[in-house]
Amino acid sequence: MTILQVNGLVAGYEPGLSIVKGASIHAAEAEIVVILGPNGAGKSSLIKAIAGLVPITAGQVLLDGHDITAVPAHLKIRQGLAFVPQTENIFPLMTVEENLHVAGGILPRAEVAPRIAEMFETFPDLARQRALMAGSLSGGQRQMLAVARALIVRPRVLMLDEPSAGLSPKLVEQVFARLSEIRQAGLTIVLVEQNARAALAIGDRAYVLVEGREAHEGPAKTLWDNPLIAELYLGHRKDAS
Amino acid sequence: MSLQFLLDGLIAGAMIGLGAIGVTLTYSILRFSNFAHGDFMAWGAYAALAVVGAIGGSLPMAPLSFGWPLVLAMIVAMGLTALLALGLDWVLFARLRARGQSIIVVMASFGASMALRSLLEFMFTSRPTYFSRAIQIAQPVGLGIRVTADQVALLLLTLALVIGMHLFMQRSQRGREMRAYSQNPALARVVGIDVAKVVRATWIIGAALACASGVMVGVLVQIRPLMGLDLLLPIFAAAILGGIGSVPGAVLGGLIIGLSEAAAVQFVGAEWRAAVAFVILMAVLLVRPMGLFGVAER
Amino acid sequence: MIDLLGYGAFFLSTALIFGLVTLGLNLQWGLTGLFNVGIAGFVAIGAYSSAILTTPDTADRIGGFGWPILAGWGAAALITAAAAAFTGYATLRLKSDYLAITTFGVAVVVQLVALNAQGLTGGPFGVAFIPRPFAGVQDQSVLFNFANVAVIAAVTLAVYLALERLSRSPWGRVLRALREDERAAIALGKSAQSYRIQAFAVGGAVMGLAGAVQAHFIGFIAPENYLPTLTFQVWAMLMVGGSGSNRGALLGAIVVWAIWVGSGSFTAAIVPADLQARAASLQIVAIGVMLCLILLWRPQGFFGSGRRTK
Repeated sequence: MTILQVNGLVAGYEPGLSIVKGASIHAAEAEIVVILGPNGAGKSSLIKAIAGLVPITAGQVLLDGHDITAVPAHLKIRQGLAFVPQTENIFPLMTVEENLHVAGGILPRAEVAPRIAEMFETFPDLARQRALMAGSLSGGQRQMLAVARALIVRPRVLMLDEPSAGLSPKLVEQVFARLSEIRQAGLTIVLVEQNARAALAIGDRAYVLVEGREAHEGPAKTLWDNPLIAELYLGHRKDAS
Repeated sequence: MSLQFLLDGLIAGAMIGLGAIGVTLTYSILRFSNFAHGDFMAWGAYAALAVVGAIGGSLPMAPLSFGWPLVLAMIVAMGLTALLALGLDWVLFARLRARGQSIIVVMASFGASMALRSLLEFMFTSRPTYFSRAIQIAQPVGLGIRVTADQVALLLLTLALVIGMHLFMQRSQRGREMRAYSQNPALARVVGIDVAKVVRATWIIGAALACASGVMVGVLVQIRPLMGLDLLLPIFAAAILGGIGSVPGAVLGGLIIGLSEAAAVQFVGAEWRAAVAFVILMAVLLVRPMGLFGVAER
Repeated sequence: MIDLLGYGAFFLSTALIFGLVTLGLNLQWGLTGLFNVGIAGFVAIGAYSSAILTTPDTADRIGGFGWPILAGWGAAALITAAAAAFTGYATLRLKSDYLAITTFGVAVVVQLVALNAQGLTGGPFGVAFIPRPFAGVQDQSVLFNFANVAVIAAVTLAVYLALERLSRSPWGRVLRALREDERAAIALGKSAQSYRIQAFAVGGAVMGLAGAVQAHFIGFIAPENYLPTLTFQVWAMLMVGGSGSNRGALLGAIVVWAIWVGSGSFTAAIVPADLQARAASLQIVAIGVMLCLILLWRPQGFFGSGRRTK
């Protein structure tokens, strides 16, 4: 069943300068959808626009059939749409626990403490560092905290912007394994990635975004072998640094 | 040598520190330096004066120079000052903030400050006025320091307000939201923080503390339309010295500036008092612009 | 009739001096985007510098060097430029708000020095007997007023032309680029900061020169000439005229000064004497509200080119 449906989305920071130019994607329940594309294709802007951080000028975002296009960013999480930005995705001058606490603010008061405890169970590394300033965490742990922070409110869709950026291959493997586990629990994941190989390995379905709209869609497992896609995607990728 | 200046400095520092909390929060959350903040102090003091007048006479609670009407008036005035700040934000600052040029907001606060101050001069004239004209006897407390009951009461009030503020920022959800928003506004929205509520809380807290500080100045010194303008530079200097965004830093910065001013009065001459804040400000900007508790700019 | 002409000349002289200050601010804010809330302080530095250097020897004050007036003006511009450069050096690598706060502090400290450093500035009594140009015809008031307005207009014109040239020069283009394009500023790195300091210093020099010219025009200065109201008036002038345009700066100065003087004499005529001080504060309220309204509705000013201030 489709849970997130994006139709002909046009978005950009300045009027007349669209970065996302009519993109349409969808994601089903408990599906991992990967969005690939060359640098500057608008992948990141696309999920930021879905999250409400980039102004949308046309198109529609439907979550579970409800139109949430115009819902302000801070209310989207209440509707079940969580977003983990690529960088600066934690509050560096708050402790690990405070990071979870502030994000748990939209839950009923009595649920906050138990949810934090559950998150610490799921991410034992974070539990050990609960009293540390989040800014002093290592890259991998930051990424885990950012994911935990998004999961604490039990979202239905989790969107991540390049969670592998800046991580060592070993850490990338760990983070992606975690995402796989999370999906097992029934969560839908939308993953924007530069690291196509790692993302396609855990993904169910993938889109290739070129110049602000989807140029190809297909099962993740076969996408890598598609010569057309390899040329399009890798070709652009070599141009970009 | 008399150590009296230490007490004088502590009291001046308490008033500056209370004002600096508001400035540091406004700067770190609304991202502009509010030149009208000093005028919130003056408006708060005059509002309290007006409310005291409306309540009518009552015997002071000996040995204090004031009675319960002033306590009540201060609470009401804190609310009124918060309304003033919210109103100003609604008609002016919020609209300019939406255009995303913080320096224009600074300029607007400068214009608003001038207008607010002159409006007080229009309504109350520039003559100083007082909550009470009774002379208080200062009691010796050792080391050559003498202290009045008012001074003790208001130092305790400051301590209570500062501890309360600290607990609020550390323990309450709104306090956490305010800190989160100051660290990363975009991420704050992503995690579901309602910016409008954070902005409102910032104005209410800043204005209420400015009012408390203004009433303190009114009780211990005098009430004048220019009282806020005179404290503006020490307040800014304290907020920057403490590190923008840090509540404990603002208070500590206020105390350092208050004590330095008192020391300058003692050892250099009272007429140079107002230069102290500037000297400290320049030293901080040249040596450690992030202040004592600040973090380097992202 | 003669009186009226004399008064017109006097009005124009004052307005043009304000125009000079506004031109300096336009270079700082209009062209470079640097926020100065201590204008009164920089004007005072220029006024006192020239006054101290050109007055005849006095017993109770340092100075009295008896320099020629023009040398005093030049020194005033240089000294104010140095003060502005130092302010810029201390703050321009930091956030723009820090410059605003520091300039505010400069004005406070200059006011304090003017009031308290009696041996240098004459304290609350100020400096008197500042040589006036054309002192020889001082008793023929119309001729004297016209001679003065001619000199002030000549200075203003010279500064105006120089600033116009500067803003069209490669130097001015860099400043504009720095203001409008954050990437340009980042690309220039350290030298961006140095460009900004230069612009702030040159703007300061113009303000200092204006202060000096005014000091010699009136012949007497005192600390209360340099209160925050002055800063505020100049900002209102620039915002009315439209920041970014030198012509707008001059026009704004004349229009706002006319409004100021006009509303002042209007209230003086209709308000009873005991309420005059109160009415004067309403005048400031009105200007403050006007400044805010301009920011809200017409940030490019009334005579501005229509270019958005960004």
